[in-house]
Amino acid sequence: MHSEVFSHVDPAPVAAKSEGGLLGKRVGVQSLFCVQGWPCEGGSRALKGFVPLEDATVVQRVKGEGGVLVGNTHCSELGLGVTRDSAARAVAEKHVDAAFMIDVLGEARMAAARAGLFGFKPSWGRISRFGLTGLAPSMECCGILAARWKDISAIFSAIASFDERDPSMVVPSELVAEGAQTGSGRNGMVAGFFPQSLERLSSEEREAFSLALGELEGAGVTLRQVEMKEFHLFPVAHQVIASVEASSSCGKYDGVRFGHRATGAKNWNDMYVKTRRESFGLLLKTFLFQGAYFQFENYAAFENACRIRARLVQETRKFFRELDMLVIPTQDNARDAFQARSLKELYSAFSCTLPANVTGQPALSLPGLFRSAGRDMGLQVVGSYLEDEKLFSLADRLVAHREGSA
Amino acid sequence: MTQGFQGVIGLEIHVQLNCATKMFCNCPNRPGDEPNRNTCPICLWLPGNLPRFSQEALEKATLACLALNCQIQEKSAFDQKVYYYPDLPKGYQLSQFHRPLARNGWLDIVGEDGNSQRIRIQKIHMEEDVARLVHEKEGRTPVSLVDFNRAGTPLVEIVTEPDLHSPRDAMEFLRVLRTQLRYSECSQCSMEQGSMRVDANVSVRPLGRDLLNPKVEIKNMNSIRHVGDAIAFEMDRQVECVRGGEPVVMHTRLWEPDARITVPMRGKFEGPCVPDPSVPPVVVEDSWLQEIIQKMPEMPGAKVERFVTRYGLTHEEAQHMSSEREVSGYFEKALDHEAPPRLAAQWIATQLLPLLKERDVSLETTSLDPGRFAGLLFMLGREEINVNAARDVLKRLLESTATAAEIVDQCGYRQVSGAEELEALVDRVLAENPSAVENFRKGASKAMGFLMGQAMQASKGKANPRVLKELMTKKLG
Repeated sequence: MHSEVFSHVDPAPVAAKSEGGLLGKRVGVQSLFCVQGWPCEGGSRALKGFVPLEDATVVQRVKGEGGVLVGNTHCSELGLGVTRDSAARAVAEKHVDAAFMIDVLGEARMAAARAGLFGFKPSWGRISRFGLTGLAPSMECCGILAARWKDISAIFSAIASFDERDPSMVVPSELVAEGAQTGSGRNGMVAGFFPQSLERLSSEEREAFSLALGELEGAGVTLRQVEMKEFHLFPVAHQVIASVEASSSCGKYDGVRFGHRATGAKNWNDMYVKTRRESFGLLLKTFLFQGAYFQFENYAAFENACRIRARLVQETRKFFRELDMLVIPTQDNARDAFQARSLKELYSAFSCTLPANVTGQPALSLPGLFRSAGRDMGLQVVGSYLEDEKLFSLADRLVAHREGSA
Repeated sequence: MTQGFQGVIGLEIHVQLNCATKMFCNCPNRPGDEPNRNTCPICLWLPGNLPRFSQEALEKATLACLALNCQIQEKSAFDQKVYYYPDLPKGYQLSQFHRPLARNGWLDIVGEDGNSQRIRIQKIHMEEDVARLVHEKEGRTPVSLVDFNRAGTPLVEIVTEPDLHSPRDAMEFLRVLRTQLRYSECSQCSMEQGSMRVDANVSVRPLGRDLLNPKVEIKNMNSIRHVGDAIAFEMDRQVECVRGGEPVVMHTRLWEPDARITVPMRGKFEGPCVPDPSVPPVVVEDSWLQEIIQKMPEMPGAKVERFVTRYGLTHEEAQHMSSEREVSGYFEKALDHEAPPRLAAQWIATQLLPLLKERDVSLETTSLDPGRFAGLLFMLGREEINVNAARDVLKRLLESTATAAEIVDQCGYRQVSGAEELEALVDRVLAENPSAVENFRKGASKAMGFLMGQAMQASKGKANPRVLKELMTKKLG
């Protein structure tokens, strides 16, 4: 069974367990998350008819904690962008309490912001990616959307433990070491914001952003203006690296073992070419072509992008010696991620969310704080790498403050 | 034919590691099983799966690197070698292209001139094997089937510098390499069974020059002999090209063992190699490396020296006894049971191993344990039996569980060394063959051999030939 919101719905959703931290919580997942026995088609002909043999680790853990898996939500092809994504709608329309979305450019935060929800992207390596049919392994995470803040923190604690099936997970001992390094003895919270992230806002939006900062101050957050001169390099580094990774990741879509297979091919090579031509949509194809270009024709550019990425990671981490978080808009009105049909539009629309994917930092889009022209723009707070919990205590504080003043 | 020219040869050797599992999943590493038995979502590369690097693969690969005197790199990493072919259904092979596990190794070989020659190994990297394609016909339609049992099984690739200059040296290098790797017990290294695959890069240049000409890669040799033959053919072919003024272009050729020629295969395709974002960098901690070094056995070079100094073997005997780890193990166990060292070395090499080969068993599987074998050599050493008898007893030892002494007694092999007993025998033989005696006395030394043979026959093979000869010489002299 399917609908506008779901590509697949469990006809009789029940909790697999009668106890656990997520008892009765209804969860939806994009059709990019493996659920044993459910179709996992990821919005692409390349995955047509693919039915996973086992659950993704996050799915297994939701089930193990008494959560109820309701169904698969629609997604853009292989999760690139949000134009066809219905995860936020599933939450907003209360079909589910929370939804999982792969966040490669900031999709989870973007969709959440637009729908007035909380959208969270964990630190890279904090939530298992086993069973996620993604595109760019070094950029993407399992994002979580929910209307209630408490649902996000509850789900995070239920699913975020170490999983040996994902080799990129941070081992618990490193987690402690890393936390000890940056968890300075500061009292209170210091948040940085930087003009480079506000350049493209309209004056009205800037005013709204100032108001949002004011709310943070009201909740006891100290604000500090910082400079991030190389902010414009994030999209470039992301696009080069992610497209190369996607080009490799999509190598497995040959139409032989699963997915659509072209007919009438002359030989195996012709069959590959035809199958891939027919399987992918235009946006994804453009992305893959770009990745293949860097792989085959301009490897030096890819190496440069990797160097730039390493520098951006270094520079950003430096901020966190004195800051607990960075505050950035999730989106603006002029660039609509839901209308992004080309790579240029896509990267422009996600330019404020993708930096956290480049650096692997945790990021949270908060609803209700940054509103302009009657729309929720989402206020994004980016935390220090692996200090996801610190971001949570800020969110706790803000939510409590707003509830108190309401 | 290649007079005035020198071959420049580098080898790329793929070695299957004998790990229990594949490199990135827990499937059994048994490529020969019924097709597609040893597969899982990871090695089938179904969506959503992530590779998990096996620690055992790292350990076996490290043993291989140590056996080839390489420097293990503290940090190495996997890349994606991108190409599209049905044997690689994910579109890339995980291989350590940019950052290999080890660099700067070497092996010494004995060159044609008898001098030791050092062959440098540029690098050794780990990689996963690809699936196996089986080409068949369904009626008249040719079909290609894919067997994933081999997909993801662990390999190391060993890349030499172009330090080899003749087919003979290349073959010698491969033999030494095989011995070293078998010693470290990381692989069976059988070219015939495919656990060692060798590609050769060959170019030629005028003798005395040190330029590097465009090289040709040759594949599809399935024995060390074939590697030598293919290189020899290719050198001839290239020299002919050069003499005919035809340029040699870089390409790949296939060795055709039946026709004994190389034929062009395809233009050389080098796919890109990009760092793999999923497999974390491989970090070799020094403490761990020291543990692996502890696991390394005594290697053949050291063993030969020890056998020479400790047991008084000749260099050649020592080499024979060190060529395989199981041979040296058997040899030393026999010595523990008081077998005379040189006798043991000679008898293992010239008697026991050929007999075992005839029976298609190995030193590890034979029922003849080193203790019983040593019993035989002990008796031979003390002249309780003679060589002919010992050969018979050895055959019987292989067929029973009795000791050598029991067989000797039961079958009456005990050597007759008593001078009195043999004297009577010699007298009788001399009396029965007066013409031979006459001939000998006239100076035909051949007659001595005839008389010895007669005497030995008369003793039913039991006479001690040394005592017999002494007596014979005395009587005739």
